[in-house]
Amino acid sequence: MLDLNFMAEIAPDMAAALLMTINLSILSVLISIILGAILTFTRITGGVFTRYLIIGFVEFTRGTPPLVHISIIYFLLPQFGIVLSEFWSGIVALSLIGAGYTIEIFRGAIESISEGQTDAAKALGLTRIQGYFLILMPQAVRRSLPPLTNELANVVKASSLLSVISVNELTKVANDLIFVHFVVIEVLIELTVMYLMVVGILMGVSRWLEKRMK
Amino acid sequence: MDISFIIDSMPRLLPGLLLTINLSLVGLGAAAIIGLPLGIFHTEIKSKILRSIIDLYVFVVRGTPILVQLYAAYFLIPMTGLKISPFWTGIVALVFNSAGYQVEIARAAILSIHDGQREGARSLGLSKVQTLRKIVLPQAFPRMLPALANEASNLVKASSVLSVIAVFELHKAANAVISQSYKFLEMLAAQAALYICFVIILTQLSLWLEKRYGAYAQKTWDNR
Repeated sequence: MLDLNFMAEIAPDMAAALLMTINLSILSVLISIILGAILTFTRITGGVFTRYLIIGFVEFTRGTPPLVHISIIYFLLPQFGIVLSEFWSGIVALSLIGAGYTIEIFRGAIESISEGQTDAAKALGLTRIQGYFLILMPQAVRRSLPPLTNELANVVKASSLLSVISVNELTKVANDLIFVHFVVIEVLIELTVMYLMVVGILMGVSRWLEKRMK
Repeated sequence: MDISFIIDSMPRLLPGLLLTINLSLVGLGAAAIIGLPLGIFHTEIKSKILRSIIDLYVFVVRGTPILVQLYAAYFLIPMTGLKISPFWTGIVALVFNSAGYQVEIARAAILSIHDGQREGARSLGLSKVQTLRKIVLPQAFPRMLPALANEASNLVKASSVLSVIAVFELHKAANAVISQSYKFLEMLAAQAALYICFVIILTQLSLWLEKRYGAYAQKTWDNR
């Protein structure tokens, strides 16, 4: 049977690691939302060159595995003299991956807002930047809330990959516990339940938001 | 950047790419054999218990990282006494993961078929199985194809995780070259380019399928 005492014993360590995972995810998603909003704006207003640059960035983040991005940030940046701690390498990698996805989310949301809004903003004498940040973005952000919550759930899952650069998040700590105590099933169950709690809540919130908007 | 080094290391990277393709396609196929029937089953059965079991499975797959699923396969399979290679452990994890997503793909496609189709089949006197086989599935399958192509590119990316259990797919192969030559930039660029090529091919396939069968779906809608 399951060793419940052992599960209770490792719970504080696991909970601390879960906090680390949540910490990483929320920070990265916030940065990627800001980055995504700025890049989306540049994509809409910028010239052909910046447009293709951003499309290239999106294709790159969506077309290569997150492990490759993490390796790039963690191994390549020090070659150019930029040395980040594991934690911040993880944040940078997750934010960049997230930005690629949030750009697509914002683009979809903005395209779903009718042209009339932009025209109205122009007619009222707003500048492009004002029109974007005062008229388009507030509506687009509202519409992109459900997919953004979903994105947060994806980032929580992707943050498990940071275990390969030894960030002490949930998966890394669980893996260490397995190797220290040679107890597999209890740790795996606790690990799964913890992820399911967080990701399940986020997926539920995303679905609830989606229903509410209709 | 040392282009000639990239070209020289291709004999070591290409087997990795091949293994990545192999893993994703075998994973996709095996997961389709398990996941799609489960999804069809889910929409057809009345039993609440069986449906909740499938729901729970999908929830676990979608709610946990692929890395955790891989560790579970890696630690749990040997506990049952089975000794399998890292390649097959990886396949098990990928199939477990992808089948869960494919249940949802099949379900969504079947639910998107208009109710009138079932009603028409019923009024023609077709049995439940006949309705499914002759009316619903022929229309639902084309609608699954774009999502399946998308799932294929997700699997390509997910298969990179197998590097942590020493499956020599593309990411691991590139890492092996890096650890001998310390040519980070070259190897990261090369593997990114290879991944992107493969994923872009799959994305284009998905777009093409969407265009082709999207038109098909439109046609049946009009003829309804």
